[in-house]
Amino acid sequence: MIEVNELTKRYGSTLAVDRLSFQVRPGRVTGFLGPNGSGKSTTLRAVVGLDAPTSGEALVNGRPYASSPHPMREVGALLDAGAVHGGRRASDHLRCLARSNGIGTSRVGAVLERTGLAGVAGRRIKGFSLGMRQRLGVAAALLGDPGILIFDEPVNGLDPDGVRWIRDLVRELAAEGRTVLMSSHLIAELALTADHVVVIGRGRLIADEPVSALAERFGSLEAAYLHLTGTEVEYR
Amino acid sequence: MTDVIASEWLKLRTLRSTFALLAAAAAVLVPAALVSALMVADWDASPPETRAVFASADPGVLVLPFAQFCLAALGALAITGEHATGMIRTSAVAVPDRRSLFLAKAAVTAATALAAGQFIALATFTAGALITGDRPAPIAAATTLPDALLQGLLLTTAALVGLGLGALVRATAGTFTALAALIFVLPALASFLPWDVSPYLLPNLTELAALPALAAMAAYTTAALAAGLLTTLRRDI
Repeated sequence: MIEVNELTKRYGSTLAVDRLSFQVRPGRVTGFLGPNGSGKSTTLRAVVGLDAPTSGEALVNGRPYASSPHPMREVGALLDAGAVHGGRRASDHLRCLARSNGIGTSRVGAVLERTGLAGVAGRRIKGFSLGMRQRLGVAAALLGDPGILIFDEPVNGLDPDGVRWIRDLVRELAAEGRTVLMSSHLIAELALTADHVVVIGRGRLIADEPVSALAERFGSLEAAYLHLTGTEVEYR
Repeated sequence: MTDVIASEWLKLRTLRSTFALLAAAAAVLVPAALVSALMVADWDASPPETRAVFASADPGVLVLPFAQFCLAALGALAITGEHATGMIRTSAVAVPDRRSLFLAKAAVTAATALAAGQFIALATFTAGALITGDRPAPIAAATTLPDALLQGLLLTTAALVGLGLGALVRATAGTFTALAALIFVLPALASFLPWDVSPYLLPNLTELAALPALAAMAAYTTAALAAGLLTTLRRDI
C-alpha cells in the first residue's frame, strides 16, 4: 500500500505538487496519469525518498520509504532506466544493488531470467538499447521480491514485444497480490493494463477511479483523460 | 552499514577505471626507475666535484605526484562517476541513508588507497635503494623507511581528498581540474608567496616531520570528507 497524504513539493517559486492525496492498493494495477510537468515524477521521487516533501507525507506500508533498513525488499522502483553506470556489466550492476540491501546473489540470476536479460548479463550496460535498459531497471526493481512496485514510464523505448511483456508482467505482479503503480503517457496501453487510475494535473488530484468507471462515463479512457486534463496543460 | 560497504566494494571492483588507475599509478615506477638508473650511471662516470652537485636519483620524485593524482582520481570517480551517469539516483533509492552511502564510499576508498598507496610507496623506496646501492648522498635519496610509509599515507590522503572534492563538485572534469591544480599547479605558485606555505600543501606534506605531517593529512582528509558529506546530505540529486 502506498499512501500520499497532502503531499506538497515546492522548487523555488514552482509548486510541483500541491496538497496531493491518494492511495494505491494492493492486488491491482494503478495507472498514474497526467500531462508533462504535472508532478508525476516529483510525486514518485517523494515516495522513494529522493525528494523531501515541502509538507505532507508519502508512506509505503505505513511509514516513510527511507525509514526501512532494506527498502528494496519492500518497494521496487524503476524511475529512470538511464540511471545506471554504463561501464558496469548488467549482472554486476544488479549484484551491487542486491548487496546493498542484503539480498542474496541467487535473486540476481532469477530477475535476469524473468526480464529476458540472462543472455546479456555479462555485457557492459553502455552497449544496451533503451529497451534493454528498461528491462534492466525492471530487473533491479524485482530484486528484493518487493510487495510494492513503482514503474515510471516503463514502456518507453520498448518494442511491441516488450510492451506486451511489461503488460503481462505488471498484471501478473498485481495478481500475486502486490501493489503496482505505473505511470505512462500511452493511454491506450494503460487502458489495457490498469484496473484503476490516478490522474493529476498541475500537481493536484483530478481523478482517482476505476478504469471501467471512467471509460463508461466518457466513452474511453483516452476521452476521459483528455476531458479531465484539458484545462491543465499549460507550462509554468 | 556492512551491507552498504560490501556493495560499495563490489561497485569499485566492477569498474575498469579502478584497475586502470591503479595500474597507471604503479606503472610510472618503470620510467622513474629508468631515469634513476641513468642518473646513477652518469654519477659513476662523473668527477667528484660534479658528483657533489647531483640531485638524488629518487624515483619517488616522479612517481609520487603522479600516483597522488591517480589515487585522487580513483576517489573522485567513486562519486562523480555516479553523478555523471545518473547511477547516484539508483544508489540513493537503494540506500536512502545518504550518510551511510557516502561513508561507505569513504571506507572503501580509504582501504583500497591505503593498500595501493603503501605498495606503491614501498616499491618506489625499494627500487630507489636498489638502484643507488651503497653510493652516498646526494645521489642516494635521503628517504628512510618511515618516510616511505608516510608517503604511502599521503597517497591515501590524496584519494580521500579526491572523494570529498568529487562529492562537492560532482562533475568529473571539474573535480579532476581542481585536483590537478592542488597537486601540480599550487606547489609551483606557492613559491611566489611571501610566506613559506610550501610544506603545508597537499603534495609536499611529507616534507614536514612525522607528527605534523600526520596531523596535516588528517586535517586535509577531515576537511574534504566533511565538505563532501555536507553536500551529499544537503543538495538534491
